[in-house]
Amino acid sequence: MMGETGDAGGGSAGEHPEALAASFSALLEDSAEDLYEHAPCGYLSTLMDGTIAKVNTTLLGWLGYRREELVGRRRFTDLLTVGGRLYHETHFAPSLRMHGEFGGIALELKGADGTRLPVLVTSTVKTGSGGEGQLIRTTVFDARDRRAYEQELLRARQEAECERDRVHRLATTLQRTLLPPVLPAVPGMDVAAYYHPASADEVGGDFYDLFPLTGDTWGFFLGDVSGKGAEAAAVTSLARYTLRAAAVYDPDPVTVLGNLNTVLNHEYHSTDPRYCTVVHGLLVPDAGGATVTLAGGGHPPALLIRHDGAAELLDTPGGQLVGALPDARFAAVRRHLGPGDTLVLYSDGLTEARTRGRVRYSEEQLRDFASTLAPATATTVVAAISDLLAGFADGVDDDTALLALSIPHTGDEEQ
Amino acid sequence: MTIEFTVTTRDTASGPVLELSGELDAATAPDALEAIRLLAPSAGQQLLVDLSGLEFCDSSGVSALIAARNVAVAAGAAIALAAVPGHLARTLGLIGLAELFKSYPTTEDARKAWGSSASGP
Repeated sequence: MMGETGDAGGGSAGEHPEALAASFSALLEDSAEDLYEHAPCGYLSTLMDGTIAKVNTTLLGWLGYRREELVGRRRFTDLLTVGGRLYHETHFAPSLRMHGEFGGIALELKGADGTRLPVLVTSTVKTGSGGEGQLIRTTVFDARDRRAYEQELLRARQEAECERDRVHRLATTLQRTLLPPVLPAVPGMDVAAYYHPASADEVGGDFYDLFPLTGDTWGFFLGDVSGKGAEAAAVTSLARYTLRAAAVYDPDPVTVLGNLNTVLNHEYHSTDPRYCTVVHGLLVPDAGGATVTLAGGGHPPALLIRHDGAAELLDTPGGQLVGALPDARFAAVRRHLGPGDTLVLYSDGLTEARTRGRVRYSEEQLRDFASTLAPATATTVVAAISDLLAGFADGVDDDTALLALSIPHTGDEEQ
Repeated sequence: MTIEFTVTTRDTASGPVLELSGELDAATAPDALEAIRLLAPSAGQQLLVDLSGLEFCDSSGVSALIAARNVAVAAGAAIALAAVPGHLARTLGLIGLAELFKSYPTTEDARKAWGSSASGP
């Protein structure tokens, strides 16, 4: 019937006034009953106990029921899914009783063949002259389009989250390649390391390594590249592999830093200089422990904790940033480690950490803290300093790396 | 909490003056580098970096100073710093770069020192 009026009103109405009049007439004759039965939404009336009293053809069509299967035989809640029924009992029905209406609720109706139809439901209570509830009138709107739209949004969000996770995994994997996953076991020594990234999202610029050289000697280093992010990570990678290769060629720490300086300075120069600060060491074991030679390039001084708690900052005066200048100078310091002695290399994330407010944690504070740790081992020192960092909480705004080497106690040194 | 970073440049008879103030870190260093790339000191001039308003400077900021020095060296000009904050002076000492930058208490001192050395023998 609506179709007929639509056809009559299309295009030619203006030329044929009588046709226009006929279409209006058809509209006026549109019965309320027909509007009810074939409305573009579902209508449902139930008794106060939910028993279906009246249902329109549109809703029967959506659900695939015949009228006699529902009217007087089923309750509205019988049409709901289990979750929907629960929601109806706990929210919908109480609210309807209290306010006389409840609307815009998203539910799922079960069709005769078990298919689910997402709908938006609004109900009002029809009251008698005494204010008592007589029946519940419910409109049901097809929400399949809306549900599809929501699912599309959800899918897009899941896809974005998946992509973000993938990028994060990539960054984490690449970062892992910049650090040795586990330190090798060094005969006659305890070794330990720690790495604290300032942010889970950023690829950090701290690096360290410990590796065998000829005979029973070992090379090790810890450094910090300027800047953050992927570009800093590229420099980190270059620095790390250059140091290892240079140490194999000539293990003298000052020469190693000189080679790294040449490589970085050639690779990065002019208006976007990239550089790093590094302490590079050579470890030569002997009968009483080991001799370490350290060369420093602009890096905070290494920390030496003696078995008796005496702590010393190993300055390498005049050592310059690595990579910033074509012919940078580097200086070395040499110490013998005996039983119970521990050497600690650290990055400036530690000594730049803000303890409270904006007060720096200084190298001297670190030295004083370290002297309380004796008798120490690499493992206990790394644990104690990483605990210290955890105490700074958000005061650590840079990456922090620690590398410690110690000669085990023999027991003799404590007498 | 964060002090806004600003970078300005101006030309003087003795050479360009680069003024860096606020917090110079990884977030603001690109702005500084952008200005440094546009500096054009002439041979024999002095590029002066005015740090009197600098509140904070991390490793990215040190990179910017090295970049400024590279620009000066490439042009055959000198570089000097004015009003280096204590924490930065300490950092430059630690990383062995203090000697690369002539340092003066104020831009006026730097200008005077430049004037006397330029008119010298």
